[in-house]
Amino acid sequence: MENLGIVFALAGAALAALMAGIGSAIGVGMAGEAAAGVVTEDPNKFGKVLILQLLPGTQGIYGLLIAFITLSQIGILGGNADTAMSTAKGLLYLAACLPMAFVGLWSAIRQARAAVSGIQLVSKRPDQMGKSMIFAAMVETYAILALLISILSITGIGSLAM
Amino acid sequence: MAKLPMKQVRIYGLKSHRKAILEALQRFGVLEPISKDLSELGFSKTDTAKSAATFAKAAETINGAVDVLERYAPEKKPLLSMLGGKKMLSVSQYYNTVDNAGRALDIAREINELSKNNYELEADIAKCESAITSLEPWSGLDIPMDFKGTKKTRALIGTFPEEKTVADILNGINEALAGEGKADDPLYAVDVNVLRAETSFTNACVFCRREKSGEIETCLRNMGFARPAYVTGRPPLEEAEKLKKQIKDDRALIEKNSKRIETQTKHRDLLKFMVDYYNMRIEKYETLGDTNQREKFFVIYGYVPEKYCARLEDELTRKYDAAVEIGEPGKEDEPPVLLHNNPFSEPVESVLETYSMPGKFEIDPTFIMSLFYYFLFGMMLSDAGYGLLMIVGCAFLVLRFRDMAPGTRKALKMFFWCGISTFIWGILFGGFFGDAIPVISRTFFGHEVAFPALWFEPIKDPMRMLIFAFLVGIIHLFTGLGIKFYQMVKDGDVKGAIYDVIFWYLLVGGGIVYLLSMQMFVDMAGLSFKLPPAAGTAAAICAGIGALGIILFAGRSSRNPAKRVAKGLYELYGVTSYLSDILSYSRLLALGLATGVIAQVFNQMGSMFGGGPIGAICFILVFVIGHALNMAINLLGAYVHTNRLQFVEFFGKFYEGGGRKFSPFTANTKYYKFKEEN
Repeated sequence: MENLGIVFALAGAALAALMAGIGSAIGVGMAGEAAAGVVTEDPNKFGKVLILQLLPGTQGIYGLLIAFITLSQIGILGGNADTAMSTAKGLLYLAACLPMAFVGLWSAIRQARAAVSGIQLVSKRPDQMGKSMIFAAMVETYAILALLISILSITGIGSLAM
Repeated sequence: MAKLPMKQVRIYGLKSHRKAILEALQRFGVLEPISKDLSELGFSKTDTAKSAATFAKAAETINGAVDVLERYAPEKKPLLSMLGGKKMLSVSQYYNTVDNAGRALDIAREINELSKNNYELEADIAKCESAITSLEPWSGLDIPMDFKGTKKTRALIGTFPEEKTVADILNGINEALAGEGKADDPLYAVDVNVLRAETSFTNACVFCRREKSGEIETCLRNMGFARPAYVTGRPPLEEAEKLKKQIKDDRALIEKNSKRIETQTKHRDLLKFMVDYYNMRIEKYETLGDTNQREKFFVIYGYVPEKYCARLEDELTRKYDAAVEIGEPGKEDEPPVLLHNNPFSEPVESVLETYSMPGKFEIDPTFIMSLFYYFLFGMMLSDAGYGLLMIVGCAFLVLRFRDMAPGTRKALKMFFWCGISTFIWGILFGGFFGDAIPVISRTFFGHEVAFPALWFEPIKDPMRMLIFAFLVGIIHLFTGLGIKFYQMVKDGDVKGAIYDVIFWYLLVGGGIVYLLSMQMFVDMAGLSFKLPPAAGTAAAICAGIGALGIILFAGRSSRNPAKRVAKGLYELYGVTSYLSDILSYSRLLALGLATGVIAQVFNQMGSMFGGGPIGAICFILVFVIGHALNMAINLLGAYVHTNRLQFVEFFGKFYEGGGRKFSPFTANTKYYKFKEEN
């Protein structure tokens, strides 16, 4: 039971990639359905609705980012894993990953709903593309804030003597 | 950074020159007509809706023909040709083509007719084919399918819903007859022929005596017997032959029609021209319909940018004997807005347009915005490799396709400048396709070549990057406030400028300096310096003055002192929005890291295959696909979030917009553009 630290740390990395990824998959899927509907009416709008469809996809990438930083911090990437990591430190990594995991999941889905509305807006008024993007991007702010806290925590934990 | 000054213009012309003047105005494309009702002065307007509708119908017909041609003989287009823009036509070419255009509508009608005919023939072929399929199981029948029988006999031709043999059918009839005691009556003799028997159906032909046919048919019906759906007056084989011949004829006709359509592709350019021609006429007639006219002359009101006024006046008076009056727009008028900026800032105009054009009394913030736009975009993408690709790609396209549509050209130019900024930030932060240089040199050449950051690597020192991002944010926000100050002073509201801008500078600026003198904040941010306590005290006093000023003066529109202070307190609460605005710039760090780290992931994945030729091939594959993906996603991210920082944080401080974009009376064409000749 001494070496549970690295298990928790890896669980954190996996959670970040998992939950943010699930959120983005749901979100991009939802937006994709709406986008396909618009394209059946007017194939020329493909480029515009594709951009809107991609917007909820960033959370998955942020999740990947957190997972990757964690993996390289604990040495699983790079081949010298810190197997003697204390349980407390492992739990710290797990906690550090949680903001990205949870906020990523929820914000991607909520952002997708804004993106779906934006796609409907663009289908009626293609000139309002910029504004419809901003509505969806507003939601992403919170994913970015979560990403920030996760990054700062993970890089900070590395230098703690535990 | 400027809005072009607008003049209000009145053009008086003789009715005999009406067409020429309108066409000239349309080619110039510098006048936005103003709708005026002068009926009280004895002017009237012509109803042109009917003619416009006729043109719309013609345009639709020809457009349909162009689509048909595209379907039958697609135009060969080289890659990227959609960037090529519209073909240029001079005025003399224009008039030549218009003179030869009489046949265009006939050609278009013929093409549409042929295409419609082909659709009908194809529908007929489908019908015949399904008939042949349904006749196939009857191929054993050598009498017509609607054969009723002879003088004494009757033929019952039909289908059972399951597999039956001759014996099954005879047994069935016999059992039914036996129930009525007629089993061995020779009057009920039948001749059963099974033509085709399969698991799901049996086609049969049953003969019986004419007077007993009713009873026999009832027996058969009880076994599920039904008449076939498709009945012909010929034996099935003969009918099938006939249908096959019809299909062949249809095919030949389709072939002939298609050939004919293909020979008509030589008129494609003419047809495209005519689509443009009719669309231009529709617009012209709409303007004409709104023109005030009297018996001998007409008058057009419109806005014209000042710099085009002289040339327009000269041209119209010299060539068409028109009189042109140029005046200032009135106080209540809302002239449309046309922006004009230096080549560096111009591309960002389209971003501003996405938000809103500057209002009547607002300045055009494009120049200042463009500086921050390129700066922030580069910081978010921050990879020298990606920046280089953007520079080379955009420069190539802009130089290669000179007739590109103006909107596309602007966008490419914007990404060119963004690319330069991205390249510079990439060098500063040490990113070239992520960490491609160290990884490649380590994997394939055995010794690592570093690509050191000129400044620092954000991933190694995120706190420093975060503080820098906040600093950029504060500068951005304060610049926005500065523009508000300039705007208010320019409008003569100096006091308001002090109350609404200077007090905020004092409060927010003082607050920030005070933080820098606190040990706790300095430790948290990892700063290498700390301001002396005296500076902190001075800053606190400044912030206090600012806060007091806001409380006292922000609610100055209310007379009631209590209400005024209450309003001021509410405004002071707005300081929280500054906090969230500044924090919002943390996305500069997050997005910058996202690009770099994901690029590193792909490089690492690529290098997992080791050195050697196979490793190199795998590495190149992973590298190209991975970086293309990463670049696309992060370009989108940088674009969206730079826009957001401009629209929400920056514009929130000073910009309202609400102006109307200048939309002149011009030729909104699809395929050609027309050049004025001198």
